Amino acid sequence: MTRRTIEIGMAASFAAFLIAVPWLIPALTDNFWVSVITEILIWSLFAASANLLFGYVGLLSFGQALYFGFGMYGVALGIDHFGLSFWPAFGLGIVAAMAMALLSGVFAVRLSWHYFAIITVVFSLIFYFLAVSMKPLTGGDDGINFSLPPVFRFGGAVWSLTDPTFQYFFVLAAVTVCFFLMYRVINSPLGKGFLAIRDNDLRASLIGLNVYVLRLIAFVMAGFLAGVSGALFAFFGRYASATYMFYQVSGEAVVWTIVGGAGTMFGPLVGTTLFIVIREIVSSHWEHHSLIVGLMAILVVIFAPKGIVGLWNGWMTRLGERDAAASVPPRLTLRADP
Amino acid sequence: MSEPVLRTENLTRRFGGLTAVDNLSISLAGGRVHAIIGPNGAGKTTFFNLVSGLLGPDSGRVFFRGRDITGCKPHEISRMGIKRTLQVKSVFPELSVADNLWITRQARSRFLHPFRSAASDLQAKSDVERTLGQIGLTGLAGRPAGTLSYGDVAMLEIGMAVISEPSLLLLDEPTCGMSPAETSRAVAKIRDLARTIDIIIIEHDMDVVFGIANDITVLAQGAILASGTPAEIADDERVREAYLGRPEDEDFVEEAIHA
Repeated sequence: MTRRTIEIGMAASFAAFLIAVPWLIPALTDNFWVSVITEILIWSLFAASANLLFGYVGLLSFGQALYFGFGMYGVALGIDHFGLSFWPAFGLGIVAAMAMALLSGVFAVRLSWHYFAIITVVFSLIFYFLAVSMKPLTGGDDGINFSLPPVFRFGGAVWSLTDPTFQYFFVLAAVTVCFFLMYRVINSPLGKGFLAIRDNDLRASLIGLNVYVLRLIAFVMAGFLAGVSGALFAFFGRYASATYMFYQVSGEAVVWTIVGGAGTMFGPLVGTTLFIVIREIVSSHWEHHSLIVGLMAILVVIFAPKGIVGLWNGWMTRLGERDAAASVPPRLTLRADP
Repeated sequence: MSEPVLRTENLTRRFGGLTAVDNLSISLAGGRVHAIIGPNGAGKTTFFNLVSGLLGPDSGRVFFRGRDITGCKPHEISRMGIKRTLQVKSVFPELSVADNLWITRQARSRFLHPFRSAASDLQAKSDVERTLGQIGLTGLAGRPAGTLSYGDVAMLEIGMAVISEPSLLLLDEPTCGMSPAETSRAVAKIRDLARTIDIIIIEHDMDVVFGIANDITVLAQGAILASGTPAEIADDERVREAYLGRPEDEDFVEEAIHA
């Protein structure tokens, strides 16, 4: 088997699995796992926003929860305070997250490496404490609950996320669209500019790339991904809470991304799946499930610095080299050309 | 004489107590290859850093074709057509050799399309392929640049300079680390480039300098020691004493600074 057939086969079976989830999972196990998979999809999009910055532009952000929170509150306040219907509330969440990313990005992307990481934490902490203290508006730690407006109304028929199957497919569609957009960006001229900056920002500026502007664009794009995931999570949980703006949430996205494989398209999905499945299985028996997370993160960083997907790519590359007879040169990384 | 391609007025840059570039006024005419030579620490690379915007001067101004570029950002200066290579070879290590050239070519334009496939730009693709052929790296096009030998990286740097279509090219020790065969290939390429673009080259290899340069400026301690044609420089007693006598002997060069 060549690398290409393995990859196509895996992609096809993965897609088939995702489409079959609402029927397959109840037949095999509990309905509960459909909602876990929905949650995994949402969080993997959140991890993808950390990955876009860290894996493709070289910016380690510990503040993505801020934009997740803005997505959440945009939806919740849009529905609860302003009485918006589904789509305008969704839009408000995304726009709020991107606007916040633009505002903080203007300051943050001037800095590099640890200074950048610190300022992203600071921004997220400021707004976390603001959200906690502005209880009348945000509900603080308790959050605000809202009732779901319908997604579509067509004649007499109404589609709403209260139907778990519809909710699953809605989330799957939204996450797929976002991953597809990210794939397009990464393989575009802009994406190559991102990679150049990640690799060597000094050289990038000498060939004429405006490093500041490109980093800012990436930061707002990451804000978009985090905002969509936050908005989806608000719809999924029917509430928004300041707890999700805490930097621990941001840190989880970074850990999931690194374990899954930073700078790979599917690394965040793999990492998120792994950790949420572990959490769901272990947490009912043992409250210290985060110890497993920590141990795994350490093992991966030591033994597979490019993450699980990076490890896989390494095997695939070796497989490709073994089939050296193949006329096409082996693709060396999944990074730019998954 | 027409407008000089590059001119500096009283350019000064200090690092703490050290004056790396000292009140340097230099005027370089277009259509010629200029070599800047001088012992280590003479301020050659600092001069390039000042011109390309990586450093700002403490005082003085830089003019590119009559336009004051003092204080412009590196990417702005790059887009005006001044491209440079770095002394410590510097490419995009995790990008393939072809992608290194591709993004360098693309960075000329202000706009990087966010959604179109990069692979679909056929003009860029053929430019990259032609440049790969010119620098002899076609066979390594798919390799990550970080895995190349030092000489190949140096060749790739020249390729990146070529594909960026500069109007003024600053080469900082381009043949450093190259094998003799690679050096002669690079020299041929630089001569070829010099027919259409202005080149300023910092080089320690005197065979390369005298093989390429039309004019030579000798720097020492941040100031001009001598300047002229290669023949004039070779005959200049001070330069001879300070520098050319034993060009391979770095220790001697060090002594020359303190002489």
